[in-house]
Amino acid sequence: MAARGLLLASFLLFSCFAETYGMISFSSLPRTLVVTASHRQGLLKADEDKITVIWGLNQSFPAGTDSAYTTIKVKLCYAPISQVDRAWRKTVDHLSKDKTCQFKIVSRPYSNTNQTFQWTIECDVPTATYFVRAYAFNAEDHEVAYGQNTDAKKTTNLFEIQAITGRHVSLDIASVCFSAFSIVALMGFFFAEKRKGRKAQQ
Amino acid sequence: MEISSTITETQPQKFALPVDSEHKATEFRLFSVAAPHMRAFHLSWISFFACFVSTFAAPPLLPIIRDNLNLTATDIGNAGVASVSGAVFARIAMGTACDLFGPRLASASLILLTAPAVYFTSIASSPVSFLLVRFFTGFSLATFVSTQFWMSSMFSTPVVGTANGVAAGWGNLGGGATQLIMPLVFSVIRDIGAVKFTAWRIAFFIPALFQTLAAFAILIFGQDLPDGNYQRLQKSGAKQKDKFSRVFYHGITNYRGWILALTYGYCFGVELTVDNIIAEYFYDRFNLKLHTAGIIAASFGLANLFSRPAGGIISDRMASRFGMRGRLWALWIIQTLGGVFCIILGQVGSLSASIIVMIIFSVFVQAACGLTFGVVPFVSRRSLGVISGMTGGGGNVGAILTQLIFFKGSKYSKETGITLMGVMIVCCTLPIFLIYFPQWGGMFCGPSSEKIATEEDYYLSEWSSNEKEKGLHQASLKFADNSRSERGRRVHSAAMPSNGTPPTTV
Repeated sequence: MAARGLLLASFLLFSCFAETYGMISFSSLPRTLVVTASHRQGLLKADEDKITVIWGLNQSFPAGTDSAYTTIKVKLCYAPISQVDRAWRKTVDHLSKDKTCQFKIVSRPYSNTNQTFQWTIECDVPTATYFVRAYAFNAEDHEVAYGQNTDAKKTTNLFEIQAITGRHVSLDIASVCFSAFSIVALMGFFFAEKRKGRKAQQ
Repeated sequence: MEISSTITETQPQKFALPVDSEHKATEFRLFSVAAPHMRAFHLSWISFFACFVSTFAAPPLLPIIRDNLNLTATDIGNAGVASVSGAVFARIAMGTACDLFGPRLASASLILLTAPAVYFTSIASSPVSFLLVRFFTGFSLATFVSTQFWMSSMFSTPVVGTANGVAAGWGNLGGGATQLIMPLVFSVIRDIGAVKFTAWRIAFFIPALFQTLAAFAILIFGQDLPDGNYQRLQKSGAKQKDKFSRVFYHGITNYRGWILALTYGYCFGVELTVDNIIAEYFYDRFNLKLHTAGIIAASFGLANLFSRPAGGIISDRMASRFGMRGRLWALWIIQTLGGVFCIILGQVGSLSASIIVMIIFSVFVQAACGLTFGVVPFVSRRSLGVISGMTGGGGNVGAILTQLIFFKGSKYSKETGITLMGVMIVCCTLPIFLIYFPQWGGMFCGPSSEKIATEEDYYLSEWSSNEKEKGLHQASLKFADNSRSERGRRVHSAAMPSNGTPPTTV
C-alpha cells in the first residue's frame, strides 16, 4: 500500500518534471484507464460503420489516482503493421512528436463512472489497422495517464478500416471526356494545317 | 546559290526588334509581345510553366494522397523517380522532332498527348496507377527542349543565353508555383464541401485544363522561325529538310553534349529532386501544416523567377568580355557553390536556417541551369535539337539517380540524403574542365593554333562535302559568322578569317 503510494507519488513527481521541461514521454504515463472498443465483425468501412468505445478508471488502482484528471481524449491509433515504411505515422516516446494517434474520436470531461461513445468512422480515415487509446489530461492540458484496448505490444484486439475511395462516377466521366477532347483537338489542328499547306501549294 | 536568292526574293520582312542575318532578334525586350520573337518567348515559357505545374502537382498534396491510396514511403519514392524518368528519352526524341518538324508542332503535340495523364490522375486508385500517371505526366517536361530550341532559333548570340534563361526559368517557376496553387485549390474545393479524398482529385483538373489551353495557344499564335513555319518554308524551298540519321549522328558524337548532359543532371536534376521531396521534408521534419510546408517548398521553385535568368544573363555578360571561356568558368564556379550550399542544407537543424540556406542553394543551382544553356546553343548548329535534348535528358537522368540513391524508401533520412546529394553535385561538375572548343578554347586552354581554329571550320565540320555542294550548310555558315562574338573582347581587334568566306557572296 505504502509502496503503491510511493510509486504513485514518484509518477506524479516525474510528470511534474516532464511538464516543466515540456516533453512528456509516453513511457512515463501510467496505464490506469480501461478501454474497450466494439464493432461489427469484418472489415469496417469509413463513413459507414460505427465503433462503440467504453472507457473508465481501472478500479484496482487506489482512490485518488484520478484526482488530476480533467479531460479524457479518445483517439484512433495506427497499429504497428500500418506504420511500416511510413515515417509519417512513427511511434516516438515524446508525446509532442508522436504520430501514432492521428484521429480524435471524442473528448469529454473526466467522470468517475464508465463512459460510452458511439463513433461513426470519419471519411478521412485511411485504410489501415488500428486500435483505440484514451489519454487523461490534467488542468494544464498535459497527458497524465492512458489506457488502450490492446496489449502493451499492440497485437491484440486490432481492427481494420477501409477508407472511402474519394472517386465519383462524375469525376471518372469528366476525366475521360476531357482527355478525349485533347487528343481530338490535336488531330483537328493537324488536319487543318495539312489543308492550309495544300491550299498554299495550289 | 539558288537558296539565298529564294530568301531575298520575298519582300524584306520588317521585324519589331533589330535582327541579324538569320533574322534572329539581337535584343530581348521582356514586356513586348511582338510577333514572332517575343510572342514565341511568351508562348514557350507559359506552356513550359503549365507542364511543370502538372508534373509537380502531386508532391504538395502527398500527405493527403498517401492516405487515400495507402502509399508507403517506397511507393512515393518510386512515383517520384517515375515522374522524371519519362522525360529522359522524351527530351532526346523532342530534340530530334524540333530539328525535323519545328518546335511549334513538336511541343504542342506533346503537351496535348500528355494532358490525358493529368486528367487520369483524378481517378488513380492504387500505388501502381499513381506511379503510372506520374510517369506519363512527366513526359511533358520534354517541352523544355522545344523551349530552348525555339529561343535559340529566334534570338541571336548576344542574347541567346538571356532568352534561354528567362524562358526556362519562368517555366521552371511552375515547380514552385504548383506547391502554392495545389494546396490552395485543394482547400477551396474542400471548403466548398468535398471530402478530403475527393477534393484532391478535383484539384487536378486545374493543371490539366491549363496545359490543354497552353497547347492551343501555341498552335494558334506560334511560329517556328522568324521567317515562318517549317512546313511552309520547306515547301517554298527556303528551308532544307534535313535527314534524321545525319542530325542524330552529329548530335550524339559530339562529346561536349555528353559532358553537359552529366553536369546538367547535377543542377537541373537536383532541382527536380528537390521539387519532389522538399514539401514532405518540411512537413515531416518540422511538423508544419500542409499549407505552410507548401509555401516554403514553393519558395525553392519560385526563386527561378530571377535566378535562372540571372544565370543566362551572367553567361552572356561573361561571353561579351571573355568569350566562351568566361561562360565555362562561370558555370563551373556557380554550380560548385550550389553543391556546397546543398551540403549545408542537410546539416542545419532549425527551421529558419533551413529556409535561408534552401533559398541560397536554389539561387545557385538554378543559375547554373541558366549558365548551362548559355553554352548549349554553341555546341552544334546542325544538331541543336539533339544536343538540347541530350542535355535536357541528362538533367532528368540526374534526377532519377539522386532520387534512387538517396531518397527511396527509408535507407537515408532526408537530411542525410540532401547532404550526400550536395557532395555528388560538386563531384559531377568537375567534367566541365574537359570541354574544349578549338576556335575559342576551354577552361584551362586557349584556342587552338592549328588550322582548325575558326567558327566556320567547327560548324561546317558537321556537313559532308556532298551536302556542302548542295548548299545545305548555309544556315550553319551564317551562324558561324554570328557566333564570332564568343571570342570575347579580342573580337574587335581580330582580323577577319581568311578562309571560309561563303561562296554565295561571289
